[in-house]
Amino acid sequence: MAPDPKENGSGVDRMDHDKQPAPNKSAQKDGKKKKDEKKEEDLSEEDAALKEQLELYVERVNDQNPGVQKMALESMRQEIRTATSSMTSVPKPLKFLRPHYRTLKGYYETMQIDELKMLLADIISVLALTMSEENERESLHYRLLGTVGDIGSWGHEYVRNLAGEIGVEFQQRQNEKPVDDLMDLVKQIVPFHVKHNAEPEAVDLLMEVESLELLIGYIDKGNYKRTCSYLTSFSSYMPEPDDILVLDVAYQIYRKFGKYPDAMRVALRMDNIQYVKSTFKDCTDFLEKQQLCYILARQGVSLDLDDASLASEDQKEALQEIISNSRLSEGYLTLARDLDVMEPKVPEDIYKAHLVDGRASAGASVDSARQNLAATFVNALVNAGFGQDKLMTATNLESSAGSSASNWLFKNKEHGKASAAASLGLIVLWDVDGGLPQVDKYFYSNDNHVIAGALLAVGIVNCGVRNECDPAYALLYESVNKEDSTIRIGAIMGLGLAYAGSQKEEVLELLTPIVTDSKVSVDVAGFAAVSLGLIYVGSCNEEVAQSILHALMERSENELGEPMARFLCHGLGLLYLGKQDDVDATMEVAKTLNPKISQYLQVTLDACAYAGTGNVLKVQRLLGLCADHLDKGESHQAPAVVGIALVAMAEELGLEMAIRSLEHLLQYGEQNIRRAVPLALGILSVSNPRIAVMDTLSRLSHDSDAEVAMAATMSLGLIGAGTNNARIAGMLRNLSSYYYKDPSLLFCVRIAQGLVHMGKGLLTLNPYHSDRFLLSNVALAGVVTFLVGCLDMKSIILGKYHYVLYYLVLAMQPRMLITVDQDLKPLSVPVRVGQAVDVVGQAGRPKTITGFQTHTTPVLLATGDRAELATEKYIPLSSVLEGFVILKPNPDYQHDHLSS
Amino acid sequence: MGQGQSGGLPRPGPPGDKKAEEKKEKKYEPAAPPTRVGRKQRKQKGPEAAARLPVVTPATKCKLRLLKLERVKDYLLMEEEFVTNQERLKPQEDKNEEDRSKVDDLRGSPMSVGTLEEIIDENHAIVSSSVGPEYYVNILSFVDKDQLEPGCAILMHNKVLSVVGILQDEVDPMVSVMKVEKAPLESYADIGGLDPQIQEIKEAVELPLTHPELYEDIGIKPPKGVILYGEPGTGKTLLAKAVANSTSATFLRVVGSELIQKYLGDGPKLVRELFRVADELSPSIVFIDEIDAVGTKRYDAHSGGEREIQRTMLELLNQLDGFDARGDVKVILATNRIESLDPALLRPGRIDRKIEFPLPDIKTRRRIFQIHTSRMTLADDVNLEEFVMTKDEFSGADIKAICTEAGLLALRERRMKVTQVDFKKAKEKVMYKKKEGVPEGLYM
Ligand SMILES: Nc1ncnc2c1ncn2[C@@H]1O[C@H](COP(=O)(O)OP(=O)(O)O)[C@@H](O)[C@H]1O
Ligand SMILES: [Mg+2]
Repeated sequence: MAPDPKENGSGVDRMDHDKQPAPNKSAQKDGKKKKDEKKEEDLSEEDAALKEQLELYVERVNDQNPGVQKMALESMRQEIRTATSSMTSVPKPLKFLRPHYRTLKGYYETMQIDELKMLLADIISVLALTMSEENERESLHYRLLGTVGDIGSWGHEYVRNLAGEIGVEFQQRQNEKPVDDLMDLVKQIVPFHVKHNAEPEAVDLLMEVESLELLIGYIDKGNYKRTCSYLTSFSSYMPEPDDILVLDVAYQIYRKFGKYPDAMRVALRMDNIQYVKSTFKDCTDFLEKQQLCYILARQGVSLDLDDASLASEDQKEALQEIISNSRLSEGYLTLARDLDVMEPKVPEDIYKAHLVDGRASAGASVDSARQNLAATFVNALVNAGFGQDKLMTATNLESSAGSSASNWLFKNKEHGKASAAASLGLIVLWDVDGGLPQVDKYFYSNDNHVIAGALLAVGIVNCGVRNECDPAYALLYESVNKEDSTIRIGAIMGLGLAYAGSQKEEVLELLTPIVTDSKVSVDVAGFAAVSLGLIYVGSCNEEVAQSILHALMERSENELGEPMARFLCHGLGLLYLGKQDDVDATMEVAKTLNPKISQYLQVTLDACAYAGTGNVLKVQRLLGLCADHLDKGESHQAPAVVGIALVAMAEELGLEMAIRSLEHLLQYGEQNIRRAVPLALGILSVSNPRIAVMDTLSRLSHDSDAEVAMAATMSLGLIGAGTNNARIAGMLRNLSSYYYKDPSLLFCVRIAQGLVHMGKGLLTLNPYHSDRFLLSNVALAGVVTFLVGCLDMKSIILGKYHYVLYYLVLAMQPRMLITVDQDLKPLSVPVRVGQAVDVVGQAGRPKTITGFQTHTTPVLLATGDRAELATEKYIPLSSVLEGFVILKPNPDYQHDHLSS
Repeated sequence: MGQGQSGGLPRPGPPGDKKAEEKKEKKYEPAAPPTRVGRKQRKQKGPEAAARLPVVTPATKCKLRLLKLERVKDYLLMEEEFVTNQERLKPQEDKNEEDRSKVDDLRGSPMSVGTLEEIIDENHAIVSSSVGPEYYVNILSFVDKDQLEPGCAILMHNKVLSVVGILQDEVDPMVSVMKVEKAPLESYADIGGLDPQIQEIKEAVELPLTHPELYEDIGIKPPKGVILYGEPGTGKTLLAKAVANSTSATFLRVVGSELIQKYLGDGPKLVRELFRVADELSPSIVFIDEIDAVGTKRYDAHSGGEREIQRTMLELLNQLDGFDARGDVKVILATNRIESLDPALLRPGRIDRKIEFPLPDIKTRRRIFQIHTSRMTLADDVNLEEFVMTKDEFSGADIKAICTEAGLLALRERRMKVTQVDFKKAKEKVMYKKKEGVPEGLYM
C-alpha cells in the first residue's frame, strides 16, 4: 500500500534523492535511465537475473509466434502479480519494466491477435501506474482495452489509482460520451474495496460517478456500521441537496439490515416524516418500537400512533406514554436519587459567599429586590425538576417557622413576582400530575403578576411533555385575551412553552389575532409571535408567517423601535429554523418592509433559516455584514454575529473555526458587535465548557463596556450550564466580589451561577444530542430566543421581561443515560463513559472513547462524552447510549464463573 | 516571538483592553486577581494556541478529509477577507503603534534587568537587580501576571524599579544551537549498502511524518523512534546525516555528552527544553548521538554526578513516553554499545525499533570503496577487488580511512594518481592502527 508510487516509490534505490528535491517527472526518468545503466553492475544476482528475464519477456512479446507471445505475457503477468512491495518501494518487476514502457506500448499498436492484445493491455495498464503522465489516465485507458476480470489481483494500489482516474474521466465525459464501460469497472472496484475494509474508498468512488445508491447492494452485515458512519459524517460537509442524498443511502442501508433505531435517527436528521413513519411502522418488534419512541420523544417529534400496526390497546398506551415524555420526570428523579442529590439547595449554597472575600457578603443589601429576583431564578434553576426546594415549595414544618412559600414570593416586587410564581413551574418541571396542583393556588391570587406567573408556570411544567388531558390549553386559553397585559403575556408565553414544536392549531387560531391586531401593545404581540414561532418551529407555516409580516407592516416606525419589536422578527425567524431556502419568499417581503426593521428582519431570517446547516456562504455573508462600521441606531449586526454562531454550530470543525472568526470580530468590531460576540460564543459552546472559550469570556467579563461584560458573564453561565464546572464557578465567584457594587452585573453573575449549577448539574442545554448527530429544533429555538433577549440586556433581562429566561426550559434535558429492562424498569448495568473519539473512516475497530471510567447506570454524560456497555450480558436496543436505552438479555451470554 | 521585551504584554486581547483595564482601575480599586499567582501557567503559547487549526480526522486520504479540509480553508479565506477589509478601513497597526508607544513611555528607558524573587500580591513584588539588594516594588498593570513566576527574569524601570516587562527565556540558547540549519552534505547516495537499514529508518521516521494516514489505515501507532547500533564506523552517524539532508522536517541534533551539565537539574531541563522546542517546530526529528553517555544501565550511583546523569536519562525516558502527545516528533538514537544501555530506554513503546549496523559484507564493501574512490584519480593498475575480498574485518570508516590514506601517500610523493601500492600501504597502516587500540595478547 505505497502512498503514491510516483512520489516516494523510489525507496531503496536511493539514487532518487540525489540532490534533486523535486525533479519534474521526465527529468527524473531520464536521470533514472542513466543511473540504471551505471548501477547495473551492483544489482544483486537475484535482481540481475530477474531483470534479464523480464527483458527477455519483453523481447518475446514481439515474437513471431503467437504461442511464444502468449507465454511471455503470461509469465510477465505472473511476475508482477507475485511481486510484493514494501511501503517505500516499487515492486521490483515494475521497476525493471519501466524502461520498456514505451516499447510495450509500441508493440501493442502492432499486435494482431485480440486475445494477446488484451493481455498486453493489462500489463501496460499496470505499468502506467508508475509511468503515466499526469492527466493522461493511461492506466484507465489500457484497462478498458484489457481483459475483463479480477482487477483486485493486481494489488490495492493499482485499484486505487484506477479509481482516481475513473473519477476524473467521468467528470470529463459527462453528458458527452456514454459511461457504461466506466460503470462496469466501478462495479468491479466497489466490491473489491468493500471486501478489503476500504468502504470510504468505495463511497468516494461512487460519489465521483454519481451513483451512490449502488452502494446499498454491496454492503453486508460486517461493514454497514462503518459505512454508514462514514456516510453520515460525510453529509455534514456536503452542499444542500447532496447531503440528503447521502443520508438517504445511509437510511436505506440501515433499513436493509433492520437497524430501525439507527434508521430512525437518520430519518430524523433528514427531517423526513415519511421515513420516520415508515420506519416506525415497519418495525415489528414491540420492544424496539418502544426504543423508537424514546428516540422520537427526545427529538420532540409526536407521531400519530393510530395508523401504526399495533397488536393491542395496551401497547398503544405504553408507546403513547413514552412518546409523550410523561416518564421523563420519573427517569430524571431516578438519576437524582441514584446520585444522591435530591436534597434541595438554596441560592447561598451556590453563591458560596464564604469562599469570597468579605466585602461581597457585606454588599449584598444593595438593591435587594433585584438580588431577591436573582435568588428566585437561581433557586429555580438549581432545583429544576426536583419537585422540592426551600423557597417556593417549603414544607409545612418550615412555614410554621415563618418562611413559607408565599413569603418568598412577596419578597419580590411587581413583575418580579411573576417570575417568582413561574419559578415554581421550573421546580416541578415535567411533572404534570404532581406539579399543576401546586401551581394552582396562585390562580386565586388577586395580584395580576402572580397570576401571570402561575400561567407561565403551567406552560413550563408542560414543556416537552404531552399529557392526554391537555391541561395547559385548558388552563391558559382564557387568559390570553384578558385586559391586563402581564397576564396576557404569561398565558401566551405559557402556551408557547407548552406546545413548542407541536403545531397545535387551536393555539394558532388563538394567537394570530393578537399578532395582527395593531391595537395590542408591541410586547404582547411580540410574545405572541415568538409563541407561534415556537409552536410552528421549522414548519414554514404560511398563515403564521403572513400574520407576523402583516403586523410588521402595520406597526408604526415608533413601535418597531421598541425593544420587544425584535421578538416579532424572531418569531418569524423561528418558523424557518433550519429550513434553508424555504425562507426565500418571506425574505423578499422582508426587503420591502420599513427600513427601520427590514435589515434586522433579513438578518434574523437568514440566521434562523440556516441555523445548524454549516452553510459557509451564509457565514460569509453574515461576516460581511459585521465588517461595516455603522452609525448608531442600526441594530442588525448583533443578530448577524449570533447568526454566524448558529450557522456554524452544525459541525465541530466549522464551530472551532467560527470561534476563531469571532476573535477577529472582537478585535475589529464596534461596540455593538463586541456585545454580541460573547453570546455567540455562548451558544457555540453551550453546556460545553471549552477552556479556550472560557478564557475569552473570562477576559471579556472584565471589559470596560458594561454590556460586553454582562453578555460575557451570561455566556459563562451558558457554556457551563448544568455542568457544575468548578473553574467557571470559581470565575463567577470572583466576578461576584468584583461587581459587588453593580446590581445589574451582579444580577447577571447570579443568573450565570444558577445556570452552571442548573438541575444540580444533571441538565444540559445543548440542542444537539444522539452523539451530536441530531439537532432538536425546539431546544435550539429556546436557546436562541433567550439570546435574542440578551441582545438587549438592559431593557429585557434587566428590565421587566426577565422571564424571557424561562425560554431556556425548552432546551433543558437531563444529560443522562438510563438503562431500562424489558418492562421499562431501571436496570443497573456497568458502562464505560469517556471522551468520544472520531473514528469515522478508520480501519479496524478503533476505540470510540478515551479516558473512560466505568460506572453503573444511571450515569451522567457530559457534552462530548460517549458511553458503551461494559457487560456482554445485555444487548442495547439503541446503538447510541443516551437518554433512555432499553436492554435485552444477550442470548449468547455465558456466565463467567471466574469473575463471579 | 523569541526573546524580547514584547513578552511582557498581556496575551492578545482586543485593542481596547488595555485602556479598559486602566479605566477600570479607576472605577474599582483592585483589578481582578489573576487566577493564580506564583507558578507559571502551563504555556498556552498565547497567539499560537489560538491560531492553531483544529485537527482534521480521519488521516486517511479520502473525500471526507478533503471536504473537511476545504471547510477549514473556506473559513480561513473568510477570515482573510474580513481582516484585509478591516485593515483597509482602519488599520490596526496605527492603533497598536499608539498603544505600544504609550506603554514604552511608561516603561521608561533605559530599562534594567532583574530577577523576580517573590510575588507579594497582585500588584507588588520583591525583585532583585543583578548587582544590588532586593526591593519591594510595583508591578505595572500591563504586565501579564499570569506569566510571572518567582525566579524569572524581568525588566525593570530604571528609576523606580517597578516591574515593566518579562524577559521570556523562550528557548534555551543551548537548544537553539542544536537545530540543524544547514543540511549536511551527506545524502543517501553517499551510503554504501545498508539498504534494509535505510528502508527501516524511512519507515519509522520519515513516513510517519509525511504519510501518517498509512499507519492509521492499518490501525497501528507509528514508532516513536529508532535506535541505530553497531560497531564504530559502520555509518550510523552517516545515516542520520542523510536523513537530515533529505527531510524537510526540523532536525535537532545532540550528542549524549552535551546533555551532561555542570549544575544539578540542568541536564534534565535541557532534555525537556529540547523536546519542547521539537514539539514547537514539529514535524521534527531529534537525533541523539552516542546515547550511551547518559543512557547506561542504572545502578547504585555513588557520586552526585552519576546520579545527575541518571536523572537526565529519566527525563529522557519521560519525554519518550510523551505524557503530552508528541505526534510529530521522532527520535533517532545512536550508540556503539547497545548492550550497556538501560533496558527501560529500549523497551517497546519508547524506542521500539532497533536497527543494527553490521560490518559491511563484500558487496557493501565494494560499494563503499566505489563511493570513496569516486572522486579520486586512480592509476590503471588499481584493483580494489583485492581489498574487497580480504578476510580482514573492515568497517565503513576503515575503508574511508584507507582511501584517504592512500590519497595522502600519493600526495606525499606528488603523484597525480593513486596506485595499487598506495592502497596496500594504506591498508596496512590502517589495520595496524586499528590493532594498536587493543593491545594484542592481553585478553587472549
Ligand atoms: N556504509 C557506509 N558507506 C559509506 N561510507 C561509510 C559507511 N559506513 C561508514 N562510512 C564512512 O565512515 C565514516 C564514519 O562513520 P560513522 O557514521 O561516523 O560511524 P558510527 O557508526 O560510529 O557513527 C563516515 O563518515 C563514512 O565516510
Ligand atoms: Mg557515530
